[in-house]
Amino acid sequence: MVFFALARASFSRNLQYRASHLLHNGASAMFGFIYLSIWIGIGEGRDLGEYGLSGLVSYVALNQCLLWVTSFTTFGLGMPQLVRTGAIAIELARPVHLFYSMMSREWGTIAYQLLYKSLPIYLLYVFLVPLRLPAGLAETAAFFAALLCAAYLALCIQYLIGAVSLWTTEAMWLHWVNNALLMLFSGFLVPIEWLPGWLAWLSRWSFYPSLQYIPTRIYLGMDGIAAVLPSLAWCAALTALCFAATGAMRRRTEVQGG
Amino acid sequence: MIEAAHLHKSFKLRKPGPRKGLRSLIGGPTFVKEAVRDVSFTIASGEFTGFIGPNGAGKSTTIKMLSGILHPSSGSVRLGGIDPHRRRVETARTLGVLFGQRTQLWWDLPLRDSFEVLGAMYRMDPQRRRARLAELDGLLRLGEFLDTPVRKLSLGQRMRGDLAAALLHEPPILILDEPTIGLDVSAKRDIRSLLRGINEELGTTILLTTHDMDDIEQLCGRVLVLTDGTLSYDGPIGGLRSRIGMPASIEATYRTLEQAQAAWSALQRLDSASLAAVGLQERTLTVQCSLEQSRFMDVLRKLEAYGELEDARMREADFEDAVQRLYAN
Amino acid sequence: MTTLRSVRGLIAMHLLLIRFSFRSSMQYRFNFWFGTIASAVIASVEFSLLAVILARFGAIQGWTLTESAYLYAVLVLAKALYRSLASDVHHLEKYLVSGDLDGLLLRPVPVLLALMTRNFSVRVGETLLGASMLAYSLAALARDGAIELWVALPLTLAAVVNGALLLFGIGLATAAMGFWMTRIEVLQNMTEDAAHTAVRYPLSIYPGWLKALLSTALPVAFVNYWPAMFILKGAVGGWTLALSAAASAAALAAGGWLWSRGLRSYQSTGS
Repeated sequence: MVFFALARASFSRNLQYRASHLLHNGASAMFGFIYLSIWIGIGEGRDLGEYGLSGLVSYVALNQCLLWVTSFTTFGLGMPQLVRTGAIAIELARPVHLFYSMMSREWGTIAYQLLYKSLPIYLLYVFLVPLRLPAGLAETAAFFAALLCAAYLALCIQYLIGAVSLWTTEAMWLHWVNNALLMLFSGFLVPIEWLPGWLAWLSRWSFYPSLQYIPTRIYLGMDGIAAVLPSLAWCAALTALCFAATGAMRRRTEVQGG
Repeated sequence: MIEAAHLHKSFKLRKPGPRKGLRSLIGGPTFVKEAVRDVSFTIASGEFTGFIGPNGAGKSTTIKMLSGILHPSSGSVRLGGIDPHRRRVETARTLGVLFGQRTQLWWDLPLRDSFEVLGAMYRMDPQRRRARLAELDGLLRLGEFLDTPVRKLSLGQRMRGDLAAALLHEPPILILDEPTIGLDVSAKRDIRSLLRGINEELGTTILLTTHDMDDIEQLCGRVLVLTDGTLSYDGPIGGLRSRIGMPASIEATYRTLEQAQAAWSALQRLDSASLAAVGLQERTLTVQCSLEQSRFMDVLRKLEAYGELEDARMREADFEDAVQRLYAN
Repeated sequence: MTTLRSVRGLIAMHLLLIRFSFRSSMQYRFNFWFGTIASAVIASVEFSLLAVILARFGAIQGWTLTESAYLYAVLVLAKALYRSLASDVHHLEKYLVSGDLDGLLLRPVPVLLALMTRNFSVRVGETLLGASMLAYSLAALARDGAIELWVALPLTLAAVVNGALLLFGIGLATAAMGFWMTRIEVLQNMTEDAAHTAVRYPLSIYPGWLKALLSTALPVAFVNYWPAMFILKGAVGGWTLALSAAASAAALAAGGWLWSRGLRSYQSTGS
């Protein structure tokens, strides 16, 4: 099956660099540690609402682990590179739909990053921070459902960024802006209900909470499986957008003569 | 002008193969590869020298040591008497270098701007730069694309632009690494005549590496051959021919078909190093022999042992083939 | 006299190369402007995370919103200045992998200078953001009588310049490791990205070992935290500023030494 062949190929390509990636995890854990220190600094002698200090520490720590699955998706799914070399026209002409093949490939990378990046950092935090273990089996299952949606959404976002590069030659900036907005609107460091009025409103109506806030709340047992519903709606919406983008890309490459 | 004395260069390389766990972090086992061993030569002012050798023989490494990019592990280089590794900035002024595989021009800017930057880097005053550019324009015909961004130039145009860039600061020494690579036949011819002009009219000392033996044959009075990190030949091109023992092929036509076939099968069985039958077409037998080891008449006598010859003709072998054979040994 | 002339020559060359680098990047005007706006958006989003927390909870370890804005502004300005100054020194890895460093070694210009002018960008976005945050913070603090503006402003500008040199020294030392390691992205991630992120926030929130690390071996805390402890809070003596200058001198010396050692052991690519 095309899906597994592509996914496995990108998984094993990543696997070659796992030693250097494990080293990289040290730096990533360090970033998380900085964010944790902020809350520990704030939390002394203050009421942190329904989270409490230990809950908020778990919240931030888990978010840091999830980044590798929900936001450090390959830049533009590698499409900007294809655009630069002109190979994108060939990819578009293949019998397999571009979105499908790009997605299959990326799932391999996501699986790899879950195993070799998120998991080591998670274990480190469980022992050192400490990050709470999930409340129960049902919560764990619901969490993985939310995480699956999050990974898929991140992949769709990168696909759209990659598609934009066909028009703008450089899409790196878009990628960075997306990352910055994600930090703010996904509830990565500050739970979204604590954002001031209009920011909270923007966040609630964006797909960003589906990437971090929703899976993490479910993990901590603060929300039930029903919280995944907005994520599912966003998955459907972005999938439609990705298909529309592919159509536009086809027309664009045809105009350019391939 | 260029002096290399006992140049050595060894690299510490990682052992190939997969490395797991910690090994790949700290590097794992290494081994020392001697890329260049005891290479010495002197090139006089105004000489046009070819530098050849198979891939991986250490040509690039040597070129990089001569131009001050790499430090030799031992031995020394002098360019016009100056050590490029002690005083790189100084020798860089006396040196023009062209890497055919990689442009040194500013990719996004018009060609003219590249010359302006280079002029400033080499501290030429604008007047002298313009005069020099006019001179190079006469030689390299740059006018037609001087205002085109470099990324839009054809490969041949780009090479002419790169050549002008290497020559702008009036360097007495020019080092060219594969200047004709990727060019079509007419562009190659073009570049060759330009190089000859540069050598003859500007008196520039030129060292040229190439894989194209036509470049060497048509341009270079002297050849250096590097095989496996050591200098295996240094001298005129004619000497290289006789040194290799150029294989010549002889086409011998027998009177009858039977004689030709008998000679063919006999020579096949003979399995001699100095004489080998390589083809048979009707009554014409083609043999290859090394004329270093046996004279033409001797070969004919051997062939006549199988029957009377109607005609015999010698074809001089391809120089390119010969050099490939030299590398192979 | 001759050294003075050669220094002047180098500066003139630096400016000229920057002009061309700039002209080259202006070939892609859209990307230039979009990049400028994007980097300002990114920097302001980063700060607003902390601002949101402080707006809700008041202060963090005794640092108010205005004071934290000061820390952030000094860092952003120093970093913008550093990255403009260093340009492609930060991207040495790219040159090592592609072999493009060879071309730079052929020019009668120091390699460091050549890299410092490649792909030059002014970082307008971050500079404007940093300047306006600094203006806001200093004005608010002066209004409250916490600082004397005519003392604090010049000292702050000096801290920015000193901070840029300090970050440059650390960046140079990290990049120079590339001559031996070739791949330095992970290393840069720790000594630059993580370190810069850490000092966006007041140092006092970190455990002792991290405070010590960021004030000694990787002395990024001297970019903003320690100068601010004197300029804003007067909590430490003026010697802190001298110590900051010493830190940047040490970082530059270490970076310069590693760079020249590294350049000598450069192995180029291929054979």
